Amino acid sequence: MADKEKTKKFINRLKSRNIVRPMVNKMYAEGVTAANEGRPLAWSMVNWWEGDIVMRAMGVTPVYPENYGTVCASTGMAQKYQAICDAEGFPTHLCGYSRNHIGYAAEMKKLGKIPPDAPLGGMAEPTFMLGSGIACDTRFKWFQALRQYYDVPVWTIDTPSYDHTEDIDSDIHEHNIRHKVKELERFIEFLENLLGKKIDMDLVEDYLENQEKVFQLWWEINELRKAKPCPMHSRDFWTLMVPGYYMTYDKDALNLYHQVYEEVKARTDAGIGAVTPEKYRLMFAELPPWHSLDFFEKLAERGWNFVVESQGYHPPEPMSLKTGDSVLERLTRWTYWVNVGHIRKAKEKNYPLFGPVQYYYNWAREYQVDGFITHSLLSCRTATFWLPHAANILKEELLVPSMNMEGDIVDFTVFDPDLVLKNAEAFEESMDYHRGERKRKGLEW
Amino acid sequence: MDWYGGIDVGSVTTKMAISRGEKLLFFYKTASGSNFQNAADTVFGEILKLSNLKRSDIASVFATGCGSDRVKFADSKVSDLTCSAMGIHQLFPHAKTLIEIGGQSSKVIRINDEGKIINFVVSEKCASGSGRFLQVIARVLQVSMDEIGPLSLKSKNPVGFTTSCAVFGESEAVSRIAEGTPKEDIIAGVHQALATKIATLADRIGMEPPCALTGGGALDIGLVKRIETTLGIKLEAPEDPQAVTAFGAALQAENMAKS
Repeated sequence: MADKEKTKKFINRLKSRNIVRPMVNKMYAEGVTAANEGRPLAWSMVNWWEGDIVMRAMGVTPVYPENYGTVCASTGMAQKYQAICDAEGFPTHLCGYSRNHIGYAAEMKKLGKIPPDAPLGGMAEPTFMLGSGIACDTRFKWFQALRQYYDVPVWTIDTPSYDHTEDIDSDIHEHNIRHKVKELERFIEFLENLLGKKIDMDLVEDYLENQEKVFQLWWEINELRKAKPCPMHSRDFWTLMVPGYYMTYDKDALNLYHQVYEEVKARTDAGIGAVTPEKYRLMFAELPPWHSLDFFEKLAERGWNFVVESQGYHPPEPMSLKTGDSVLERLTRWTYWVNVGHIRKAKEKNYPLFGPVQYYYNWAREYQVDGFITHSLLSCRTATFWLPHAANILKEELLVPSMNMEGDIVDFTVFDPDLVLKNAEAFEESMDYHRGERKRKGLEW
Repeated sequence: MDWYGGIDVGSVTTKMAISRGEKLLFFYKTASGSNFQNAADTVFGEILKLSNLKRSDIASVFATGCGSDRVKFADSKVSDLTCSAMGIHQLFPHAKTLIEIGGQSSKVIRINDEGKIINFVVSEKCASGSGRFLQVIARVLQVSMDEIGPLSLKSKNPVGFTTSCAVFGESEAVSRIAEGTPKEDIIAGVHQALATKIATLADRIGMEPPCALTGGGALDIGLVKRIETTLGIKLEAPEDPQAVTAFGAALQAENMAKS
């Protein structure tokens, strides 16, 4: 976004990704249509699917302000909404997504209608807001703060802390599942009272079955990316994560992932990479600079292929479901599992690390990466505070070097792509050195 | 035609080196000012006079630094980090770590036996981690950059800065002036703040001695002493620490010609 000039393309993007944009447009259009027709609309945090499926089964159309933050960042509108948020008196060090959304909501309240220049038609006034206890406190505090503009109910689905190794001990694990099932039951009760209707559990089950098929395909696509050269770049992952995060109930999402799988498989079989030649295989943590994604083209020009990324946005590992589980148990197991699956796998090998670090440790080996790019975010503690630890572990244990770039998910003024590009050459030297060291010490790649 | 040029256009100073047979033979520097292209043209013209060479004698010129895009006569652009590593390795082959304190940022680089980068870390995008912080404070105190090193060494009671931000640091310096704090104590406080930042970078990268020091910051004896005390090691600086990155660029030009 910061650099509007036409960037030459070096990433061989997937053709099937073109299906995503109309789906995203449809998601936002449905939200506005629902509000216009008097049907319930929710502003919802990413809730790792459990809340979405319940809402959809209750006839609620959710829209997602965090995703809207990425939309506003990529279209340049985020600066305007953040400035409005600042003028409202909120501090500038709050989450970039929240600043964007608070500014947007304040503007909509002032105008009495969706701002005419809102990207993708905007988000209409909600019937209620759904917060989530997963990841950080901002993700419910932000909606509480928004009640000064829109005094609608705010519900938060709680989740136990899941990053610690004790959570995967079976007793505690099952206790947490029971807790989360109760949370879903209470959420359903809340919706039934608010909307005056009963939930259709058959619909929940249908949606869940669709979701499980999406997860399986999405997982297999990422497995294919372990191939050398890697057939799918992180840029395509970030595009594809929208249906995988917000539309898993939808048959269109399943169709999309089928098509993506076929394309990635064909590339893998033919030895076609997303970047040619693939000189370096990179791993990216955590959230990308949504405003400057074309910047990755310049790194691709150097032969940098980003082969795996953003652990918080990957599908859960396949797991065996317990027979006799209720639909709600099954639903919440996936939400819980996405955060503990890798830790469990690591525990089997007696090497458990703090949650996100574990993902990157496993992936560095499985995807055989040459370098680790960390994106420390000015406005997100959750996606930043563990980055140095991950970088240290990879360097010490796997001889994979890292390079940090400072920036933000929404605010492009704090990101300096030129500086990163200037340092890229030096980082290549470091990656070359470590490649030799890994070989010398008998590591696999 | 076996002369090679390296030009390092920094945010504060533009430097040019001429090498031959991997030796640093001529060096010239000038203030970058607000027009990097003019500064680049100036150093090139002056170094040709100094060396008594003609433009056609220089086989190729490689440019580096934050203003390298403005060097119209450059044959290629290269990373300042790799240039710094290569330059210091040629001058001090035993150095395992390089600390570079520039006007825009500070860097710590770990170097292998061949002068290649093992790892590096660059200070965050904030003036408090760079020589710019010193410039800001020198202006507030109305002392020249040449004076601040010796003044700092006279300090008996360095001020403890409560901020890691250069802008707030400037305000804090003004408050201290108002309280009647001696200049040398304020400057020594800034030196300590910078030294602490650099030590943090060095820790992060896993600094290993022998350690060399380059960049404009290495000309400031007050800062050098503070860093040495904070890190608990002796630092080695070349005769002109600002020449190293430009020399590295010239070496890269030589290497390219040979390959």
